[in-house]
Amino acid sequence: MTKLLKKEMKLTASPLSYLFIVFGLMAFLPGYPILIGSFFVCLGSFQSFQCAREANDITYTALLPVAKSDIVRAKYMFCAVIELCYFILTSVPVLIRMTVLSNVSVYRHNALMNANLVYLGFVLLILGLFNRIFIGGFFKTAYKFAKPFVIFIIAAFLTTGIGESLFHIPAFSALNAFGFAHIGLQVSVLMTGAAAFVLLTVISVRQAVKNFERIDL
Amino acid sequence: MALCSIRNLSKTYDSFLLSDVSFELNAGRITGFIGRNGAGKTTTIRSILGLVHPDHGEIFYFGLPFEENEREIKQRVGFSTGTVNYYPKKKIKNIAAVTKTFYQNWDENAYREYLELFSLDENKMPCELSEGMKVKFNLLLALSHRAEILILDEPTSGLDPFSREELLELFIELKNRGAAVLFSTHITSDIEKCADDIMYIRNGRIAADCSKEEFVKNYCKGGETLEESILRMERDGKI
Repeated sequence: MTKLLKKEMKLTASPLSYLFIVFGLMAFLPGYPILIGSFFVCLGSFQSFQCAREANDITYTALLPVAKSDIVRAKYMFCAVIELCYFILTSVPVLIRMTVLSNVSVYRHNALMNANLVYLGFVLLILGLFNRIFIGGFFKTAYKFAKPFVIFIIAAFLTTGIGESLFHIPAFSALNAFGFAHIGLQVSVLMTGAAAFVLLTVISVRQAVKNFERIDL
Repeated sequence: MALCSIRNLSKTYDSFLLSDVSFELNAGRITGFIGRNGAGKTTTIRSILGLVHPDHGEIFYFGLPFEENEREIKQRVGFSTGTVNYYPKKKIKNIAAVTKTFYQNWDENAYREYLELFSLDENKMPCELSEGMKVKFNLLLALSHRAEILILDEPTSGLDPFSREELLELFIELKNRGAAVLFSTHITSDIEKCADDIMYIRNGRIAADCSKEEFVKNYCKGGETLEESILRMERDGKI
């Protein structure tokens, strides 16, 4: 598996997959829908799938002495590494905004989603949706990726829309908490996002392994 | 015991049927797999490499069923799929550096020898290579891990006559070392030059599978050349 992961990084990955991790710093931007950054990192991973198809990567890998299921798992693992790097990077501005910048006016008077643990929960949900919808959809054919990516875009923007609008409803205003206010709620949304990420990814990997075993290359 | 044994392989597509394909590959023998475009050569080869799932049939390498022993078997088998362009924008040396990590028996000396023999510059990228050089690059990867069986889909396509000659000589050298070689082609002169056995496929069925001498004796009528006899069999639809 490690060898396959190295192969993904050295031969298959698009430089954009790495570059778009930097979008995690968008969480510093005031007055910007910061969840969009999660979409960009998924776009970077999508570019790697495009590169892989152009390079006949799946056929090349299928001819190597590896298990077919590991080919699928390595693709997921590569994306998960990128997603983890993004999550760690975007957590930095979140923690800074929750602590030293929590009372800065430009963030306090921000009509859009605040960078807090709720935001991180939504980030994990979007990344999980990418793994479930896009990667899972790709492995139905190991060739066609446009349709699953369009479906993912719709799901990601719907999720962003929900994240950006939910706290405007008075009953849910605590979701936009500043600093460590409503920390119990913030942590529970983060944990829910993490659980959704794990669940969506695990279901997707299992289904993709089954599909990939069946298809002809 | 045959190094590779294929029994009753079948695969149905909407407009094509690969039917009841059986054959064996033996150590120290070169098998030329001939048939016109669309006859089923590539489907057969992709099926025995595990890229295509046959509807029926059994595939054994070294006496082991392929499905249950795929990883171990692929360590001992070399594959090349013609001019397929893998990683066109990566340097050959980088592709080779990754590939070799997967093979326990990767032979760096052999890799260097074939690199020189094929006049390949490892600092070039596949997109900078001619079609013939791409074939050589794919062969380079297939030959560098001391494979006991080589399965090559149209390895001579796009090669100039000199390179073809060199490649066929290489097949003979590998055969003399005890390897089994299966190569598909539609160029009869390649088979005449180096094959020990001929497998002729027509409309998804193996129409003939025997030694070259037997093929000439049984199917080349009235002093026909191999090419003339195959053209006649294709034209008449019978052997």
